Amino acid sequence: MVVSQKDPTIRFLICSFIILLIISITVFSFLGIYMNRKSEKTVYEVGEIYMSGMNQQMSKNFENVIELRFNQVSGIVSVVSAERFDKEELYKELVYRAQVRGFDYLALCSAEGEFEALCGQPFKPLNPIPFVEALTQGEQRVAVGVDSDGNEVVLLGVDAAYPMKNGNKSTGLIAAVPVEYITDFLSIEGKNQLMYYHIVRPDGSFVIQNPNTELWEFFEKLQKRSGLKENKASQESALDEFGIALEHRSEYNTILDINGEKRQVCGIALPYSEWYLMAVMPYGVLDDAVNGLSNQRMVMTLSSCALILIILTFIFIRYFSMTRFQIRELEQTRQKALEASKAKSEFLANMSHDIRTPMNAIVGMTSIASNHIDDRDQVQNCLKKITLSSKHLLGLINDVLDMSKIESGKLALTLEQISLKEIVEGIVSIIQPQINLKKQAFDVHIENILTENIWCDGVRLNQILLNLLSNATKYTPENGAIRLSLYEEESAKGDGYIRVHILVKDNGIGMSPEFLSKIYDSYSRADETRIHKTEGAGLGMAITKYIVDAMEGSITASSEQNKGTEFHLIFDFEKADTREENMSLPPWNILVVDDDEFICKMAADTLKSMGIQNAEWTLSGEMAIELILERHKYDEDYQLILLDWKLPGINGIQVAKEIRRKLGDNVPILLISAYDWSEFETEARAAGINGFVSKPLFKSTLFHSLRKYAETNTAQTQTDKNMHLQGYRILLAEDNELNWEIASELLSDLGTVLERAEDGQICLDKFQKSEEGYYDAILMDIRMPNMTGYEASQAIRRLDRSDAMSVPIIAMSADAFSEDIQRCLACGMNAHTAKPIDVSELTRLLKKYL
Amino acid sequence: MTLKECYSSFGGDFDSVLLRLSREQLVEKFVYKFLDDKSFHLFKTSMENKDYVEALRAVHTLKGICQNLSFTKLYESSNITTLALKENDYQKAAESMPQLSEDYHLIINAIKVYQSCKEA
Repeated sequence: MVVSQKDPTIRFLICSFIILLIISITVFSFLGIYMNRKSEKTVYEVGEIYMSGMNQQMSKNFENVIELRFNQVSGIVSVVSAERFDKEELYKELVYRAQVRGFDYLALCSAEGEFEALCGQPFKPLNPIPFVEALTQGEQRVAVGVDSDGNEVVLLGVDAAYPMKNGNKSTGLIAAVPVEYITDFLSIEGKNQLMYYHIVRPDGSFVIQNPNTELWEFFEKLQKRSGLKENKASQESALDEFGIALEHRSEYNTILDINGEKRQVCGIALPYSEWYLMAVMPYGVLDDAVNGLSNQRMVMTLSSCALILIILTFIFIRYFSMTRFQIRELEQTRQKALEASKAKSEFLANMSHDIRTPMNAIVGMTSIASNHIDDRDQVQNCLKKITLSSKHLLGLINDVLDMSKIESGKLALTLEQISLKEIVEGIVSIIQPQINLKKQAFDVHIENILTENIWCDGVRLNQILLNLLSNATKYTPENGAIRLSLYEEESAKGDGYIRVHILVKDNGIGMSPEFLSKIYDSYSRADETRIHKTEGAGLGMAITKYIVDAMEGSITASSEQNKGTEFHLIFDFEKADTREENMSLPPWNILVVDDDEFICKMAADTLKSMGIQNAEWTLSGEMAIELILERHKYDEDYQLILLDWKLPGINGIQVAKEIRRKLGDNVPILLISAYDWSEFETEARAAGINGFVSKPLFKSTLFHSLRKYAETNTAQTQTDKNMHLQGYRILLAEDNELNWEIASELLSDLGTVLERAEDGQICLDKFQKSEEGYYDAILMDIRMPNMTGYEASQAIRRLDRSDAMSVPIIAMSADAFSEDIQRCLACGMNAHTAKPIDVSELTRLLKKYL
Repeated sequence: MTLKECYSSFGGDFDSVLLRLSREQLVEKFVYKFLDDKSFHLFKTSMENKDYVEALRAVHTLKGICQNLSFTKLYESSNITTLALKENDYQKAAESMPQLSEDYHLIINAIKVYQSCKEA
């Protein structure tokens, strides 16, 4: 289709380009030739004007020179009067005057045409008749003649009446100069000139003949023509016209073609004579100039034509490639649109199938139910299936609605104050059944989440997590593992924000890189052949991506086929304005038991951050029991035990049973579980579990679960203080002043009456001297001067009085080694408490023995 | 200088002592009293006189005080000495003395500085 569209376009473009090329070349050539003609003509015209100007100037020049000479000759005539001199002297005078004025020849001429030379060689005009006629009529006249030696001379004749030698009266005085004189100043014979000149008579004969012979034939013809008057060719007609012009002494211009070469001929009449000045300019010179010009013009025209064509070609090629690019883009867009519409129709086909399946179930189950309306179990079973199918259907429809909202740009976020803890707990409880069904391992890792309350669209965040987690369960085979991790860091947006990282990782079937690249496209679903069972609209990831974008977060996916997939979400949430609860717990010793080391560490850290003095952890139930017994031996029991339900060896409930069997009910044991504990609650309670802590272990989760026990403890302490210790008299054996003061300070706060014994001996004496039952209890330091605590206790127990055995003696020592404790007990003391003095611990012990 | 800063300067655990005694004034009162406590000097003279029974008693008392006042660092060094004396390892006890003495004087000096700050 592309090819068939492209071909005629290209053909059309090439054809039009060729036509354009031809037209341009033709037009430019025509223009060049036309302009050449025009300019040739113009140049000839200019040449003509130039020649005629030159001719006029020459004729004027001639006139001036001849006039000057005539004036000189007239001058001779006016100076030399015939009456004043006799004949001989007159001639001498005339010759002298003539020689002074630069004339080489002088002669007198009679009316009959006789010439008498006065000086120089005798000479005669070549054509004496018109010359003599003019002189007779009193005119001045110039003519060409020859002397006796055959030299050509120019004659200047004026009217003058002098006596001639033969006695006659002369009609004119004629002076002559060599013909070179005229030719020189008219520059007629100059070399390197464009033009050359002839001077001719009206009959076509030469007066002054230029050495250039080319026009001689023409003038010969002209002379002959005067006799016979017939016309033949163009040259003949030119001849005629010229002849007529000669006769009328008018200016004449023509172009003659002689020997194949053109010549401009220009004639003008010369004054004072019957002569005609002919200027001839061979066109060779002009032609050269014109040809040079036209060549240049031709070159210029053609090169500009070429330039324009090149530019046009360039523009054309550019435009062509641009057009082709656009066409290609258009084609791609069309392809994309096609793909999209194909995806949509595929989606519709899938959808209708997906919708029909639960719909069929609903319809089918409904009819089954109505058929068995009396069978309660059957109806209930049907209703359960109907509920499941409707939920599934609702999910599908919600997805489609969301997608259409997104596509129409109507999906808006509703920011509300939410608790990350609640969101995650919610998600865990929703996803748990699915995970249990596929027997997958599910871990939630909460890492230093300090800010739990944030501004966020909780529903949408839920949707994202639910989608990612349900994808993880869907695409992870049975017995696979899924992990949800959360951690926080400082946000780039500032103090008011917190950056939350959420990771969803599974070890499922994974995705191919090709699929990963279009995972966020609408209507896509992982490779159909591999998971034909999986249902869903294929919109989940597109919706997820859109919501993440709308929340200004980011989502990245990394996946490897058959290895698993990990999604990493990053959000910058605004911190909620609620003041964080001051979460602090008493300085307890706590044991955390979980098979996941990460959870143990995190829980221990979180507990310590809340004021727990000692948070120990271990990974197995067996180890836990060992640790607890060890502690118990030294009477330093844990105040609380956090026990995971699922443990590698014996499970949490069994561990609890074991602890209860060995240690009784004193220590609260809480069961940590990510699962709904209703299934095993009865069993757990029976095993001695005091309560449950749900995973994930957020700080607040831990705090709220443990606070109850802190409250009962402190409440107990309060009651102890008020009800049991008020007014009790206690003997405290303590040698050190400072320790005594501290103990006294703390114990008097409890309302006891305290008496001090500075060493063991004094203690024994005081007790001995007191009335029976005066002291309610003795607190005994061990290492004292004079008598140690051990000795004092032994001595007291040995006393012969009713309270000697019954008075509680509690050791209070800096030593807490088991041998110390054993020795204390062996010496008859009831209990041992290590320093530092811990009021609650002491109260507990006192309460126990009082 | 606050009491907390004073504590951290000599390696004590202020938070835990405050938790037990609940009032800062009380902690301060006992810390001042520590300046007058003779246990350390008794220990020193006993060691010089090679009266190891008395020395053990004195250092044990010191250890008890340290526990009560959460002088963690001094507690650790006094504990080492106590253990050595208990095992009759007098050589080791004598070797542990410089550390004990250093930790002790660190506390005494810190308290004195704190006291003078407070009075000024």
